[in-house]
Amino acid sequence: MQILLKLFVSFALIGLGAYGGGLVTIPLIQHELVDQRHWLTFDEMARILAISQMTPGPIAINAATLVGFQIAGFWGAVAATVAVVLPSLSILLCLAPFMDRIGQNAKVLRFKAGMQLGILSLILFAAWSYGTAAIKNGQELLLAVAAFLFLIVSEGKVHPIWAILACGAVGSIIF
Amino acid sequence: MLSALLFCRMKIDGSWNAMSTEQFHTKPDEAPLRISCADIFWTFFRIGLFTLGGGLAMTTVMRHELVLKRRWLADDGFMNELSTATAVPGAIAVNLAYLQGRRLHGGLGATSAVLGVVLPSFFVILLIAWFAMPYFGQPKVAVFFRGCAIGVGGQLAFTSFAFGRKLLRSWPKMAVCAGALAMTVVWEMHPIWVLVVAGGLGFALTKPGPQAPG
Repeated sequence: MQILLKLFVSFALIGLGAYGGGLVTIPLIQHELVDQRHWLTFDEMARILAISQMTPGPIAINAATLVGFQIAGFWGAVAATVAVVLPSLSILLCLAPFMDRIGQNAKVLRFKAGMQLGILSLILFAAWSYGTAAIKNGQELLLAVAAFLFLIVSEGKVHPIWAILACGAVGSIIF
Repeated sequence: MLSALLFCRMKIDGSWNAMSTEQFHTKPDEAPLRISCADIFWTFFRIGLFTLGGGLAMTTVMRHELVLKRRWLADDGFMNELSTATAVPGAIAVNLAYLQGRRLHGGLGATSAVLGVVLPSFFVILLIAWFAMPYFGQPKVAVFFRGCAIGVGGQLAFTSFAFGRKLLRSWPKMAVCAGALAMTVVWEMHPIWVLVVAGGLGFALTKPGPQAPG
């Protein structure tokens, strides 16, 4: 029961901070689950994130369900999934009366512009901390750089999931 | 997978914002159709089941299903909700489902839409956890996921690049970003505080008046 409560709190925080889409949850998940709570090893987290990207639906939801299941079984999955959507839904519920104007409000837009810079810094940090944890030798660095370049070249043309799957295929051959 | 999408969304979001502001203020909303909650649930269930990734991938499919195919919503209503969905935290697809469900059928509609969009993810993941997880430890599967993990590293680097190219256009913005980075690296603060402080700094430092996000 206590583990469910802790799961719930962790994922509520992740849901609250997941501002701007799926990849933003990576630094949050790493901070909450790997660094703070030690529920997952880095490799387990990396695997969960890869699976979350390959399955339908938002990454944050997929990752929450999978992590919850891994830590506390079926009810863990339920607790984590509910927790990750609850903050945003409560906010939307409270904002309901002035919802139509809030998206265009100049003050909200300014705050939003600042938060985007915060997100950028989080993603930069995640690229560094995730990268240094995942990449262990020159061969792997080469693969990561290849993925990076492929994503730049194919931007908007190829779904990014193909870069991940291709890395998995290359990994199966060379590792 | 969201890297490019995230980035594209901002572009599109920006132009949509401008567009929907105009339309919203000049034209009152059309009277909403009454659509049953079961219809809402199944539509969103299909969207959740057949869309890989959240973010733009899902908003595009939602617009296709709700505005173009079913004509449940007008484009300006949809755009309006899209800008609200990105203004609050959380998965954009879920926020958007909530808002559209609410527009279509009030609170019950919102509940149906959110359940519809979340449940496919939940069940697919549970199936994977039950039936595929035991095989994850096998060496051949493990190396595949190691490769994927490295790909995700490359993707994060790419996202930083794409985001940075778009956002870091002025000195104050670079300063906010560097400050936020210092908060994570030097003081090891919780990422949520980083977002709140960066939001506050953005509020103080960016010029007033509507501007396209990013």
